[in-house]
Amino acid sequence: MPIRRANSIDLLQGTLDMLVLEQLRWAPSHGYGIAQAIRTQSGDILRVDAGSLYPALHRLERQQLVRAQWTVSDRKQRTRVYRLTPLGRRRLAGERSRWEQLSLAIGAILDRGGVKA
Amino acid sequence: MKLPLWRRRQDDELTEELRSHLAMATQDRIDRGEPPDQAAAAALREFGNPLLVRETVRDTWGWISIAQWGSDLAYAVRGLRRSPGFVVAAVLTLALGIGANTAMFSIVRAVVLRPLPFADADRLVALNELDLRASGDRRGTLSWPNFLDWQQRSRTLASMAAYHSANFTVAAGGSAAHVPGVVASTTLFSTLGVTAATGRTFAPDDESAEANVAVVSDEFRLTHLGGDAAPIGRAITVNGRPFTIIGVLPSGVVFPIESPAPQLWVTAAEDARVEDAGDTPMTEQRGAHFLQAVARLRHDVSLAGTRAELDAIAAAIATQHPDDNAHRGAAATPLLEALVGDVQRPLWLLMTAVACVLLIACANVANLLTARGLARQAELALRVALGASRDRVVRLLVAEAVVLAVAGAACGVGVAVWSIRALVPLAPGDVRGLDAVTLDGLVLLFTALLAGGCALIVGVIPAVRVTRGDPSRNLTSSRGPGGQPSQWRWLNGLVVAETALGVMLLAAAALTLDGLDRLSGRDPGFDVSGVLTMSVSLPDSRYPFARQVAFYDQVVPALSAIPGVEASALVGPLPLGGSRFRISLELPGDSGDATARRQSPGFAFVSPDYFRTMRIPLRQGRDFTVADRQNSPRVAIVNESFARRYFAGVDPIGQRIRPGLSIDEPAAPWREVVGVVGDTKQVTLLDEPAPAFFVPHSQGMITTPHLVIRSTQGADAVPAAVRRIVAAADPELALYDVRSLQERLGASMASERFATLLFTAFAVLALLLSAVGLHGVLAYSVSQRAHEFGVRVALGAEARDVARVVLAGAIGLVGAGLLIGVAAAVVAGRLMAASLSFVQAPGVTTYAIVTAVFLTIAVVCGVVPARRAARTDPLRVLRAN
Repeated sequence: MPIRRANSIDLLQGTLDMLVLEQLRWAPSHGYGIAQAIRTQSGDILRVDAGSLYPALHRLERQQLVRAQWTVSDRKQRTRVYRLTPLGRRRLAGERSRWEQLSLAIGAILDRGGVKA
Repeated sequence: MKLPLWRRRQDDELTEELRSHLAMATQDRIDRGEPPDQAAAAALREFGNPLLVRETVRDTWGWISIAQWGSDLAYAVRGLRRSPGFVVAAVLTLALGIGANTAMFSIVRAVVLRPLPFADADRLVALNELDLRASGDRRGTLSWPNFLDWQQRSRTLASMAAYHSANFTVAAGGSAAHVPGVVASTTLFSTLGVTAATGRTFAPDDESAEANVAVVSDEFRLTHLGGDAAPIGRAITVNGRPFTIIGVLPSGVVFPIESPAPQLWVTAAEDARVEDAGDTPMTEQRGAHFLQAVARLRHDVSLAGTRAELDAIAAAIATQHPDDNAHRGAAATPLLEALVGDVQRPLWLLMTAVACVLLIACANVANLLTARGLARQAELALRVALGASRDRVVRLLVAEAVVLAVAGAACGVGVAVWSIRALVPLAPGDVRGLDAVTLDGLVLLFTALLAGGCALIVGVIPAVRVTRGDPSRNLTSSRGPGGQPSQWRWLNGLVVAETALGVMLLAAAALTLDGLDRLSGRDPGFDVSGVLTMSVSLPDSRYPFARQVAFYDQVVPALSAIPGVEASALVGPLPLGGSRFRISLELPGDSGDATARRQSPGFAFVSPDYFRTMRIPLRQGRDFTVADRQNSPRVAIVNESFARRYFAGVDPIGQRIRPGLSIDEPAAPWREVVGVVGDTKQVTLLDEPAPAFFVPHSQGMITTPHLVIRSTQGADAVPAAVRRIVAAADPELALYDVRSLQERLGASMASERFATLLFTAFAVLALLLSAVGLHGVLAYSVSQRAHEFGVRVALGAEARDVARVVLAGAIGLVGAGLLIGVAAAVVAGRLMAASLSFVQAPGVTTYAIVTAVFLTIAVVCGVVPARRAARTDPLRVLRAN
């Protein structure tokens, strides 16, 4: 019996938080919208399941990085919409630069290894 | 799961949010052309289990763990209710452990940790003169001139006061009563920071000769002033002189803190009185050391700073007055430490001992819980398989421990209340705070912490151990639960640990019992049985020295006429009465320097027949007689240690000594030694034999004496008869401090007996608990190893062999515990011998006894399980699997 539990979140947590914040940078959105956006923007590679997404959203909300509000969508669906707070915006900038440094660093290592091999 | 009300809305919103997610996903699929029913199913598939998602989100809320704890606890209670036997055993064990610790801590709290009832009490210090010639505790009392010099010269002490206990005969309208009181400098209450509840405390003017003012305790107001709410200005008679009450202290505040509590305070003017115009008052005798002193450090001064200053002052006085002060230093000790310093280390030792009891109790309950957990491993494995995280399973097991610990603590408080009630009457009366042991907030906080600690020890470790390993193996194992060797190592380790602790505690108890036995076996040098002791308060206003002597010369012989009285006499200070007098000694041929360097021998004044009354053997020479009077030649009797020390190789009879003691002589007279008596103990049976000398009461009565009466009568008849005789001589006199010598002997060992009682009680508890623990593990192991035993029997093992395996296991466990425990007891024994003066370092016998006791326990605890193992029916066991 497959159990989706905290383990799968733990692996992704930092990255997932950043991706969620990034989605909210342009416009407020609900959970489903965020999941869909990540999925399409990643070319269907990253599928964020609900068991990871909602804990992440609620955690970000508790850290006051996002704020939630009930609205009614254009299709008359009552949804909970998240928007970025100023604090969240700053956090995203930090995460982003750290991520860029990290990928540069890892890239550098991989490149060097590639030349040698 | 049940949620708290304030979270339900949030939970409903979450449900709705997830529902809207599903709805949108379904709608998207329908928009893409999927049939509605397939779309919903696919969306749900993609989403996962909504319940699980909801639970995961709730976990991020944090508060949820509280709610889960609630449900875990409720579940634990339900589970525990199904095994009442286990619950009773565990709760009882914890209650005993926690209760004993709570009781012990409440004692420590009352004696050591409760601050003194004075403002900024940590700035208060006790001052002492040091006898630089003595070894060991050199702290002694001050004389008035030395105190006044210190007071005048010290810059580091904001305020200081000297005082000494005194016995007063007080009449407040009614008949005269004996009242324990204090003579103090007027600075006493201001130094302590005590203000009167009504009226005022002493002012500097009160020390003038005819001020005659007194401060009284609230207790005095209630017992002697009929509860008068405003007794200020009331006239009372103190020692036959008219006094005026100027203040009443707040209820519960007295100083010095001692037993019996002082009730009346007068100024040093009391010591400045003289009988004859030519006499030197006590306040001017630099050699008369009888004062205690207390001082308050200035806020900007450290204790070390004051000590340095006092050293310098003492050295300066020693140069100025070499005769009296050449060998005298000065010391300052924090007041609380001065009060409880002696009892502090024994108390902490006892606290350690009782903590060991609790550890044993915890080990037992951990054992029980581990065994229970192992037996439930299949159930727990199933829970994990059904999706419970390991954390959750651990939490479930810990919840059981928490329930047990809380129940144990609740019952433990009951145990503590009961044992405090039982113990306090047995406690020594002269230890500060022991009469006021209560379960206050701090004690209860301590109990709560203990409960928490217990839950941690008995819950978390077993839970982690039980849930360790591969759950599926536990689920599928055909051999049943509880087979993993590491878990057996853990159970056995617990037994070994608690045996080791038990060995240590038993050794400690054996040491104290042995020490107490040795102490009680010591010969005080006199026969305590059948001797009654008491004092008469003679007001010195009406009884100058000569009349005091005349009074006793009239009363003491009359006592011997009481039916059943064999002999009666007078002595001061009374042996086992709590005080020891020392008086400096000059021998023929000494230069003054030699006298100053010599440590002062013990001293007492006695009436004729004292040695016969006490059955102290007269070794040589003669007893005092009625012919040894105030105006006859000065004589002395010395004890054997004195004769050995100062008259080695010569006949002591006829030798001359000159103690620094005078009654009405202008200078201390030479005295002729007329007799030698056996050595006696003065303060406690622990006293080492030391030189002492005696003089006739008519030539040296310098303090209130005690009557000693040897009779064959019951203890009730004699005091009444004495009271009649005393009343016939003077109806205003009160009899007080009436106690048998046997009682005093008992009181002199009260601390030792109390410590022994506690150590023994803890050891008995520890033994019981270790035995229960050992039996539990053995019984459990036999039930778990039934399969193995069945196979052995099937293969031809005799019942005896099987029983032997079990017994050998028991002895092996206890043996390992013994090895560790004895090694630890060697160290602990040294520590105890260093802290408890009546305890000697452990010898081989102690260890032999302890070993024998524990091996017996191993066998006794092993017999029943061994028999059960021997009776294993191989057919039944093997068929069962």
